[in-house]
Amino acid sequence: MKVMVNTGTSVIQAFYEKKGSTLKDEYRQSAAVAFMDLKDMQKLSLKSRDKIKIKSEWGEVVLYVDISYDAPHEGMVFIPRGPWANIIISPETYCCNVPTYKGIPAEIFKTDEDVLLVSQLMNKVYNKYNLDDDKLTDKPVYKKRMI
Amino acid sequence: MEYILKNGVVFDPKNDIDGEQMDIFIKDNVIVDKVSSKAKKLDVSGKLVMPGGVDLHSHIAGPKLSIGRLYRPEDIRKGIKPASKNDISGFEAGFSLPTCPTIGYRYTKMGYTTVTEAAVPPLEAKHAHEEINSIPNLDIPTLTLFGNNWFMLKYVKEKRFDDLKVFISKWLKLAKGYGIKIVNPCGSEAWGWGKNVDGLDDPEPHWGVTGREVIQALTEVNEKLGLPHSVHVHTNDLGHPGNYATTLETFDCVKHIKKNENVDRNQIMHCTHVQFHAYKGTSWRDVSSGASELIDYINKNDHLTCDVGQITFDETTTMTADAPMEYDLFRLTGLKWANKDIEVETASGLIPSIYSSHAPVSVLQWAVGLEFFMGVKDPWKIVLTTDSPNGGPFIRYPRIISWLMSQEKLQDMLDNEVHNWATNRTDLGTYDREYSWNEIATITRAGPAKILGLTDRGHLGVGAKADVSVYDIDVDKFDCTLKSNSETLENKLLNSKYTIKDGEILVKDGNIVKLVNSNHIWCNVLGLENEEKVLIDRIKPEFNKYYTIKYENYGVNDHYIQPDTRMDVNYGGEL
Amino acid sequence: MIEKPITDYDEEVRNCSCSYCGNNCDDITYLLKDKKIVGVRHACRIGASKIINDQDQRLLNPLVRNDEGILEETTWDVALDKTARLLYESDRPVLYGWGETSVEAIKKGIKIAEKTGAVMDNQSTICHGSSIQAFQNVGHPVMTLGEVKNRADVVVYVGTNPMDDHPRHLSRYTTFPEGFFRKNGRKDRTVITLDPKYTNTAKVSDEWIQFNMNEDYLLFDALRMLLKGESLDEEEIAGVPTSQLENLIQIMKNAEYGALFFGLGVSQTLGKQKNVDMLIQLVEDLNRYSKWSMLPMRGFFNVSGFNIALTSETGYPYGVDFSRGYPRFMVGETTTIDLLNRREPDFFMAISADPGVQFPGYTIKHLINIPTIQIDTHWGPYTELADIVLPSTRVGVETEGTAYRMDSIPLFMKKVIDKPENCHSDEWILTQLYERIEILKQEEDN
Repeated sequence: MKVMVNTGTSVIQAFYEKKGSTLKDEYRQSAAVAFMDLKDMQKLSLKSRDKIKIKSEWGEVVLYVDISYDAPHEGMVFIPRGPWANIIISPETYCCNVPTYKGIPAEIFKTDEDVLLVSQLMNKVYNKYNLDDDKLTDKPVYKKRMI
Repeated sequence: MEYILKNGVVFDPKNDIDGEQMDIFIKDNVIVDKVSSKAKKLDVSGKLVMPGGVDLHSHIAGPKLSIGRLYRPEDIRKGIKPASKNDISGFEAGFSLPTCPTIGYRYTKMGYTTVTEAAVPPLEAKHAHEEINSIPNLDIPTLTLFGNNWFMLKYVKEKRFDDLKVFISKWLKLAKGYGIKIVNPCGSEAWGWGKNVDGLDDPEPHWGVTGREVIQALTEVNEKLGLPHSVHVHTNDLGHPGNYATTLETFDCVKHIKKNENVDRNQIMHCTHVQFHAYKGTSWRDVSSGASELIDYINKNDHLTCDVGQITFDETTTMTADAPMEYDLFRLTGLKWANKDIEVETASGLIPSIYSSHAPVSVLQWAVGLEFFMGVKDPWKIVLTTDSPNGGPFIRYPRIISWLMSQEKLQDMLDNEVHNWATNRTDLGTYDREYSWNEIATITRAGPAKILGLTDRGHLGVGAKADVSVYDIDVDKFDCTLKSNSETLENKLLNSKYTIKDGEILVKDGNIVKLVNSNHIWCNVLGLENEEKVLIDRIKPEFNKYYTIKYENYGVNDHYIQPDTRMDVNYGGEL
Repeated sequence: MIEKPITDYDEEVRNCSCSYCGNNCDDITYLLKDKKIVGVRHACRIGASKIINDQDQRLLNPLVRNDEGILEETTWDVALDKTARLLYESDRPVLYGWGETSVEAIKKGIKIAEKTGAVMDNQSTICHGSSIQAFQNVGHPVMTLGEVKNRADVVVYVGTNPMDDHPRHLSRYTTFPEGFFRKNGRKDRTVITLDPKYTNTAKVSDEWIQFNMNEDYLLFDALRMLLKGESLDEEEIAGVPTSQLENLIQIMKNAEYGALFFGLGVSQTLGKQKNVDMLIQLVEDLNRYSKWSMLPMRGFFNVSGFNIALTSETGYPYGVDFSRGYPRFMVGETTTIDLLNRREPDFFMAISADPGVQFPGYTIKHLINIPTIQIDTHWGPYTELADIVLPSTRVGVETEGTAYRMDSIPLFMKKVIDKPENCHSDEWILTQLYERIEILKQEEDN
């Protein structure tokens, strides 16, 4: 289904972000979510907490879905800002420095794929250090210093 | 450290030294009458030597400047200059809205050592003091805005002048302010509703208080407290044709008030940028100069002083707590308008202004300013300012001096450069005065220091602060009255040979050789501490209800004023 | 998320300034037990979460990536030396972030940027930078929030949802509190929200005007036309019935004191700064009839302070490029996202900011190829991309400093509890870096 994506702050996502709990499942549960109009969900036979893959010109990512309390707005999807939303938003600034976080055309599909935790998502999408995905969890991974 | 400035030609009007070739002795941070044999000699034979410059009205720190810079990058671009090779001073940026470091560099190079920030709202005083920390090399007193403050309006309305006195005493401590500033009293509060007041006796719509009542009450309080500076007044109706009448009434409305016996200054009121308040007529079509009447009053009375607010034909930025006037200008010019209303205290506005020598109104304003310089006989009553950056940026002071010292230059401008309103609608053409160096030293040093009540500067007597400026001008050889010399004169005054502050050489041969932190000068009234505590306990609930920050977080703490000079004022009680 | 009231504490510290959003609420009470914060009074839920915060992701020691690509704890000397050298040797460094640190630290950062020819930029570059451009285009009629509390009878929110982003905005400043001229608080005010979404703010407003995404400019332009007395032929503008707009403009025109707040819904959608241009001009026009002022809803607690500090020091508000030794500011050229999109920088340091949370994926991809440094308090998405991590302290909790509220009121934020032992303030870290860079420069000069 074709949709228009809007990203922005939600109170729960901001809560976990500001708390500094971004690696944890709570953050994933609050930020890796596409909030949809109930009518749109019905069109794809989606229930709350089902999973979708969302694709834009810039990338694709798997998210939970939930009912938007900001509806009615058929054809519109809201994703709280964060590492998941970033993958599909447009970097286009139109030469005025602000990327396009709102009003991104995208397409959504129902899926069974997993919604990744932050550490896994960053490794999979950007793969800067070629880390082993299985070792990445909801806890910081680093080496203690030998004293 | 000790220095001898050898054989300079010294102008020190306070000590009646008028161009005498002599040595100046400096030990540590003061002027002394002799130094040891170890003193370093600086040969300034024949060069112009004056006390460090004192500016008593300039806008250099605080929210207005920040807004200006934020919304006028085109002005920043005009003043870009890469950092000096000596790795001491950094880059410069900005013309009418220089960056903080740039302000310090440019004033120091002009030989100025003390500059007053003329309008600080207490709620944002931390901002002003924080910016002062980024301006190098100056002593900076700040004037605190009181002319539209709600507590003040309430006390004036209810005639609770003792409470007002305690309030002012406390608020200067909270804002780390030096003196009382009044801007368009009641008008800026009326602007809270998009209105203004018309003249001195038009009551503010809600409070029912008039500008006259505010000015009188605050002048009384200022004299009771015995603050070193008098009230500093930007009168109502700025920039409106016909406003000279309001200005005249304002001059007169405090005449009966008794000056505090302990202060050094002569005046009980300083009226700032009078140029903007001296127009006759009913519109910009029939406008003409009203300077003559005001000059006449100033010449006949001793209770007031003024500074000019000279126009300099530049594209500059106007900024003032007189916010309704800025909206009027916006309606007039359509240039981009900025406004900032500040809760419980004041409003402020900004707009770019393009003063052109071909535009009749600009030229009229330019000529009116010069009329004051020419017409006010006693140079101790008038001070050189541009209300920087309102009439033009402070780096134009040397240019103004070149006009004041040369009738040939001025006549040439009147004949060949400026629109004919200067001659047709003002009396500028009737004067033939030329300023002497002694008079220049008075209107840029001795006078403003005395008016501010800063007795330790503005002169070179023994015990004075060792703030000295030396210019590469051979006083006896260089003829300032020649038009052909005016550009050279301006350049020499822009780039001092030496600027010495507190006995340290900050500028040598037009280059900054040392940077020091600027000093925050503020006034601390002693003797009302108990009354202040009682007042605060009483008004704190109201404060916390109508402000949006807590009283406990309101004042400027010591974090923001390093280093500072606290001027203690002993409250003498009711006489 | 209902939490029980905290009763087990042994110390109260009052009038603390919150370190979450641009509201900078300064009436917060911290509840301490054994010198640790166990509770917070008066703060909103997000503010409280920031102040109490999660300790398991706290960065406690400097970290450097080893050969296997794993972050490894190290000493401050090693981490600082490495950082200083990377920065000193880079050609196009970017120093980004600053929204959640003090002005004192920001000023140190500016000095480093000048010394190293770096680009100094903050979150304005992704948020209200377009609003600042609009101020530069057409004007800047703003106010402090107390003006709204005391005077406003009409409050309009456009493309912003403070109930989620700035939770106490309505209750502390604009809508609910008693004001000097609005003794009945909420009852004395009309609150209108313009938003494509039925946001939580729309829900508490007197009227919600729903308009189409990306049609902001059209909508505001139509409002200006109506204000000027022109009639519109269309029955609907940007999805809003023309009659509803006529009604809105009447309310705005007849206000005694109107306040308009706008958010990223206006500055980040199609049209960007041009949307804000139009909104500013609407406010300017309204001042012919009534008194109106406006304010962008600034996000981080010191994003406004950065703009102020940078203008004080360099003249420009954000995106300042020192590569020529003096400051340059060119929107779209010297701004972070554009630089990264063009793959230009060869060094990137984020200070109290998480580009992993904030930047588009395409933009982030450049960070894979260049040295990346993090100065922050918590492990976040950006840590997963960082080569060196320098653990810092929390301003307003563990470190004192200055912040500017969204309306530019300065606040002094207190130090209340001790920092973790091996963490240092941003200001300290940056001072250390500056000194090391000076040494490198001297070595080269010799």
